[in-house]
Amino acid sequence: MMQRLHILPMLGLLSVLTLAAAPAGAQEPGIAAQLVARGAPADFADRVAQIVASARAEALPTEPLEFKAQEGWAKRSRVPPERVLAVLQQLVGRLEQGRDVLRDAGLDASGPVVVGAAEALGRSLTPEQIRDVVRSAPDPAAAGTGLTVAASLAAQGLPAAAAARAVSDAYRSGRGPEEILEFPSTIADATARGERMVDIGQRIMQGGMLSSPGGSMGGAGTGGQGGRPPGMPGSKQGTKTQTNKP
Amino acid sequence: MGDAELVRRVLAGEVELYRVLVERYRAEFGRYATALLGGDVDEAADALQEAFIKAYDSLASCRQPDKFKAWVFRIVTNQCHNARRRRRLHAPLETISTPASETADERLNTGEVKTAIGAALEALTEEQRIAFVMKHIDGRSYAEMAELLNVGQDALKMRVHRARDEMKRRLEGVV
Amino acid sequence: MTGRDRFHPDVQRYLDGEHVEGVAQRDIEEADRFAKAVLEYGASAEAPDARVDAAVMEVVRARVSQREGSFWQWLVQPNLVRIRPALMAAASIALVASGAALVSLLPRTSPTVADAVPTVLVRFELRAPEAMRVTVTGSFDQWSGDRVELQQNTATGVWSGTIPLTPGRHEYSFVIDGERWLPDPMAHAQVDDGFGQVNSVIVVGPRGVVRS
Repeated sequence: MMQRLHILPMLGLLSVLTLAAAPAGAQEPGIAAQLVARGAPADFADRVAQIVASARAEALPTEPLEFKAQEGWAKRSRVPPERVLAVLQQLVGRLEQGRDVLRDAGLDASGPVVVGAAEALGRSLTPEQIRDVVRSAPDPAAAGTGLTVAASLAAQGLPAAAAARAVSDAYRSGRGPEEILEFPSTIADATARGERMVDIGQRIMQGGMLSSPGGSMGGAGTGGQGGRPPGMPGSKQGTKTQTNKP
Repeated sequence: MGDAELVRRVLAGEVELYRVLVERYRAEFGRYATALLGGDVDEAADALQEAFIKAYDSLASCRQPDKFKAWVFRIVTNQCHNARRRRRLHAPLETISTPASETADERLNTGEVKTAIGAALEALTEEQRIAFVMKHIDGRSYAEMAELLNVGQDALKMRVHRARDEMKRRLEGVV
Repeated sequence: MTGRDRFHPDVQRYLDGEHVEGVAQRDIEEADRFAKAVLEYGASAEAPDARVDAAVMEVVRARVSQREGSFWQWLVQPNLVRIRPALMAAASIALVASGAALVSLLPRTSPTVADAVPTVLVRFELRAPEAMRVTVTGSFDQWSGDRVELQQNTATGVWSGTIPLTPGRHEYSFVIDGERWLPDPMAHAQVDDGFGQVNSVIVVGPRGVVRS
């Protein structure tokens, strides 16, 4: 069920990118060629490729680095090239920290989990909270998803402990990553209806479960408050944007 | 490889790995040093060299290896400060420093702009110049500047705002 | 420059990367020219090159040999931190075997791969009545900056568009008139982009996205 209309223009450009020759000496022809095809100088592209190759050698996930390099180049009117390289190095450091949290506990440190762990650390989840999410997940891909979601929940205002609990409790009760992926929308919806993160956080710590958007908390029947007074966050716009797959 | 691991391994005896740190931060702080030294790239190279040697000599006293970057940054800033002071003591700053890459072929107004910016930077206070270069040439966020300089973000914003106003006054009619 | 001897406080905030409203276009352009001129000045200045590295290492090695007599600690070659291609291939295979996301390893240029991954339609909206062109860009379009255009509702000044995204986390930004990068006030979260600006984050579930 593909909506091709939007994707085709992107694919057209991507096929053009594959035809671009890789700069001499590049060890990661993908990212270097992409950057050069977008007008980046060859030495910058090579330096990026080296950082990516070095990360890959340490068995670190490289997709976040490639995205960040592309982003840095796209923002070049405000960002000097050395800054992009510096930020890439910082990102390598954060990925290493994520990996260390997992390895120190003998946990699987594959790509998506490391990315999730790095994100979670960035949102002040503790190593123990991170490990608990990983242990609760049915497989490594789900662990990565769980950590990414927990990081988002924390960014949205849920206390870190509640963000981690929401995910680990859901996995332990048999729910899958597709449901977990709905949680940030659930929280956004709750925020729009005027619910307070600290309240939701407390209910999670007491064993309440997050559900789909519109329901907010399952089991206890504590759905959103009806009618927000003017001036409350979300009361002005009320823009709930929900699109459903046919 | 991250800074903390590199520092640990250098201290454990893998001295050649220090070059990775030098290359990384020479690349990151090079333009900063050059801008602080009025565009004199040779002087900046000397300042960086001195800074990295000093950093190596006291590497064992860098108590938080994951804060190596901020630590080295302060040593570099200090070296640049010393270099400027030496310059002031030995020769008055009578001519306007120009960036090394300016050639006679550049269009007159482009050369003018760069000369003017270089001169304007020299006229800032040291604190303003450092903050302004970090913000507008290095593109750093205030949060990062605060961590590197160990100064609060509000104070840094004030320095950058004042620097911008001073630059604006001096670049009137040029930019 | 407009002839006043300082920047308006709102322009200062704009230059700090904050979102400001109601600033005269002329002042924005002046601020942009200023920032660009300084950036170009910085970019055109030569930076010290790798001779610094070599000089430092010579001194460092001399320090070591002073301590150790004539014994040089050549334990590690400088290029150990680069990767040999055979090792890289082995690492890639290991990642696939451990169940890591296949999409990130397979070349994104293959149309058949993109077709196989399920996507969800996600709507993006931004109120920007004075903009002439609004695009949205992010990891999903390799940060092209200008490929995905939104359409304007001239009555409300709201720009909108619908994009197919894979379930999961997406980082993105709006770009106004090809120049100004703006986060999405309705995103799930915002994140420091590391470059002094802010990106937006949404987490897309299989059934879509709800934002506040």
